[in-house]
Amino acid sequence: MSERGGRGELRETRAPRGWATWGTTAWAAGILALLVAAPLSVRGAYGDRLATHWGASGEPDGSLPPWAAAVAPAAVWAVLVVAAVCWRAARRWRAAVLASGGVLLAGAQVSIARANLHHADWRDADPVSVGAVVTLFAAAVAGCVAWRVSRRPAAASASRGRGARMEIPEGERRVWLSRTANPWLGLVAAATGAVAVAAPLVGTGAPTASMWLLIVPFAVASAAVLVCSSVRVRVGGRGVDVAFGPLGWPVRRWDAADVEWARAERRTPAQVGGWGYRLSGLGTTVMLRAGECLVIRARGKEFAVSVDDAERGAALLNSLAGARAERP
Amino acid sequence: MLLRLNIADNRPLHEQVAGAIRRAIAEGECGPGDRLPPARELSLALGVNANTVLRGLRALRDEGLLEFRRGRGVTVAGGADGRSALLERVRELVADGARRGYGKAELIRMIEEAQ
Repeated sequence: MSERGGRGELRETRAPRGWATWGTTAWAAGILALLVAAPLSVRGAYGDRLATHWGASGEPDGSLPPWAAAVAPAAVWAVLVVAAVCWRAARRWRAAVLASGGVLLAGAQVSIARANLHHADWRDADPVSVGAVVTLFAAAVAGCVAWRVSRRPAAASASRGRGARMEIPEGERRVWLSRTANPWLGLVAAATGAVAVAAPLVGTGAPTASMWLLIVPFAVASAAVLVCSSVRVRVGGRGVDVAFGPLGWPVRRWDAADVEWARAERRTPAQVGGWGYRLSGLGTTVMLRAGECLVIRARGKEFAVSVDDAERGAALLNSLAGARAERP
Repeated sequence: MLLRLNIADNRPLHEQVAGAIRRAIAEGECGPGDRLPPARELSLALGVNANTVLRGLRALRDEGLLEFRRGRGVTVAGGADGRSALLERVRELVADGARRGYGKAELIRMIEEAQ
């Protein structure tokens, strides 16, 4: 029942498929043509090499033959398009990535071609700082616009407490607790933490600047992985709490009155883009292991966490949410 | 695991907490060797003071249902599932007897006579 509901919803969000596919194809082909055509159109007329890299002072300091200047960005674009189209988890970001990436590459290519116009030697090419700034700005704007336009319409707000419920007898208070830990993530956290601790011990004297470059990222990575290595979920009177890490901190909390529905669903790391705290087309997922996940929809967003016995947790949460909503 | 706290009866709260965990063990919510959520977690979940929860847990340890281990927290003792179910029935028997005017001593005598 819950599984079927999940698939139906996914299908629903993919409905306007035709024009999206055509638009993506046209955009990918157009940008590709521009990337190849721009450097080749400058070729021959003004020299056999094009300036393709500029130093901080605005002087060109790197060059490529026109064919390479055409192929390199085209290859980057091709990889980006293939990745964005094939990677299911990136579905939500596809339009934004393709729009901003296309504008960025095309803008860079046009700036390069323009700077090389009327110069026989690549060392005399014009500076490109204005073009770079305009391109970056346009890419950011294009990305934002595409993201806003492609954002899926909010799923029709279903009646509160929808889904399987649990009958709670009068005079009984029910609490559902579940815990998942991933020992591999704990091991990764321990290993990265060990590097951060060992770095100052191995080196003699006070930590140097280069040593801090080692310590800080490893310590941050260790803490981040540790927080995602175990999770505790509690469904009770007030709502649902999801506590991360061995210390039970940070905590994400939803009031029962805010919960629209909850259900159990099977998810895999491949679907959501890996282990840990993932943001994907399926919403937020705290993925510690493949399999049963408790999915909560609250305040218009979906949140999932991989815990055992999610079906009963979802049923209890639904009845709590329903009881809250029905109360005058 | 799913805990059911019976808030309708008028037993002391720590006994209610112990009863909820005893029932969870009897119904297989957590098996022998499983680790119980920390007392703080249980107290937040049940809306009961942490000391009350600890008192309930200690009572269950004395009954031989739970084991307190340093560094491993509170775990369900081996064979606790069967024992827990039996204990729950004994409690019902004692309560039923009290209602009908039979004391514990008389119940014990009845049990001794029973074949």
